[in-house]
Amino acid sequence: MAQMTPVSTVIVDDHPAVRAGVAQWLSAGTPPIRVAASGNDVSVAWSGEGATADVVILDLHLGGPVPATGELRRLTEAGRRVVVYSMRADDATALQCLELGALSYLTKAEGADHLLEATVTAADGRAYTPPSLAGALAGDRSASRPVLSARETEVLIEWFQSESKVFVGRRLGISPHTVNSHLEHIRIKYAMSGRQAATKAALLARAIQDGLVRLDDL
Amino acid sequence: MTSDGPGGDGRPGGDGRPGAEDGPGRAARAEDAPGGVGRAETSGDAAAGQMDATMRTVLLCVTVVLQLGLSLGPLFTEEYRSRPLATGAFAALACVPAVCSWWVLRQRPLPAAVTAGGTAVVLAAAFCATAAVDPGRRFQAPDWSFGLVQWHLLLLLLDRIRLLVAVLAAHLTASMGTFLVAGPPDRAAIGAACTVAFGAVSVQAAVIVISRLLRRRSREALAVADEHDRLELRVLTARQWEQHQRTLFAGQLGTTLPLLAGLADGALDPRDEDTRRRCALAATQLRRLFAENDETPDPLVHEMTACVDVAERRGVNVSFAVSGAPVTVPAQVRRRLTGPVATALSAARGRARVSVLRTGEAVRIAVVTDTDTDTDSGPRPEAVTTADGRVEVVSDHYGDFLRLEALWRR
Repeated sequence: MAQMTPVSTVIVDDHPAVRAGVAQWLSAGTPPIRVAASGNDVSVAWSGEGATADVVILDLHLGGPVPATGELRRLTEAGRRVVVYSMRADDATALQCLELGALSYLTKAEGADHLLEATVTAADGRAYTPPSLAGALAGDRSASRPVLSARETEVLIEWFQSESKVFVGRRLGISPHTVNSHLEHIRIKYAMSGRQAATKAALLARAIQDGLVRLDDL
Repeated sequence: MTSDGPGGDGRPGGDGRPGAEDGPGRAARAEDAPGGVGRAETSGDAAAGQMDATMRTVLLCVTVVLQLGLSLGPLFTEEYRSRPLATGAFAALACVPAVCSWWVLRQRPLPAAVTAGGTAVVLAAAFCATAAVDPGRRFQAPDWSFGLVQWHLLLLLLDRIRLLVAVLAAHLTASMGTFLVAGPPDRAAIGAACTVAFGAVSVQAAVIVISRLLRRRSREALAVADEHDRLELRVLTARQWEQHQRTLFAGQLGTTLPLLAGLADGALDPRDEDTRRRCALAATQLRRLFAENDETPDPLVHEMTACVDVAERRGVNVSFAVSGAPVTVPAQVRRRLTGPVATALSAARGRARVSVLRTGEAVRIAVVTDTDTDTDSGPRPEAVTTADGRVEVVSDHYGDFLRLEALWRR
């Protein structure tokens, strides 16, 4: 969605090289994304320019042994749009971050394109599902998981397997736009199930506004 | 590229021989299974039963010889208070080995009814025979029943040791009791009685101990023999499994050895694209084969990682992702899943996406890669139903891209 003003972000990561690399990727994006602040601690997202940034790009491991899930919860409860950018690739961590209200979860193995798209999508109040997260959703066997249609499951699996929406579209005989719609529907279903968070409510409100879901469905 | 499809990669275990992938450990476990224990117990019981049958045959002969050889003479030559009573008791006692011989000579255990009835007859006959003897002649020649009935009891109750000891003790106590109650015997009579009783008890005790000892030894001998047989079976199974593995390995090398020979003698040009592709396939298959024998918590991912590693060493940019909780995949199924994937991956030119997805219903391994193989070569679609579920391989070309998925429905 076209923005009148550039999207602004705050980068929270304990590795300076990662912060510099992410900042470079964002500023080189089309359109460029402004890095309002960055630091090795979540406090940078609560003060100064970081407090008003559109999107928080959060590393889950900030030097300590314990993942920063508490920090993530505080950010989402305050309505902040968070993209988790983590070294960890296990499904459980990804699903937990979604449960806590993160709009996207990316592994650091996933490149600049996915991070840029996740950031722009989050700034627009929408969820982005990269291939690794699609795999986590497809492999989710928890009791609280929402019921997905056969087509939605196919889309998740194909997207996880190919990393190309054009390829998924060719395989399933649908357009890449329809692939995106399915992925959004899936994320809305996840937002409607499980623990509630301010960002989930915002995501649902956005989905109603976009006509993806009706208020009666909630 | 050679058309080494899923069926042509020399998959070990592809011959469908059950258990081939499990190795000697399977045989060892089978021997240690509850069923194996049950068999050992059964054979031990059989050995004990056989020993009891042999002992009963010996006891039958001893009882008949003692009754006719040592007791018949005094019955006719000695004086009794009631000869008919003594004769009746003798006849009743003689009936017991006669009846028992039906089962004993057929090496069968005595029925409970025969044991119970026989014991009652023996004790009643002992009481009558003792009552027929003059109290002053107890434990002497006319009192032939004292030493005899214990052999009858041994014959009847050999496999019921506690009951046998109890009945023998009761008989001895009753005999000594009636002897002492009948009138105050003199010291010489008591000494003689004790000598007779001690002699009889010693012999019976020796018989009981010997029978128990023989029974235990036969059990142990049979257990050792069983264990020996089990070990022999394990060794044989291990050898066969090793031989099978060698054969499989040789089958795997079947495509590799001619390749190496061709490279060695210059018949194949390492710069040739087809030769390079064949080398890539052979290397991937060998790495997968080596990975198969590693002990890892997630063998499927371990084997796929080995295949990915070979591709990366060739310079292919591989994106490898694993999702879903690990599930146990039998070795035979793993080969059917990873074989075609390895073949597809060996044809990758520059980029490949490899993914492993475990859901509640299925395990899927997929490769999407750029390749210049045509649609007639490379992995072929197939669907195989194994003992552990159905394995399907689906392969499609999309321009320069090959997509292959191997799926196991549990």
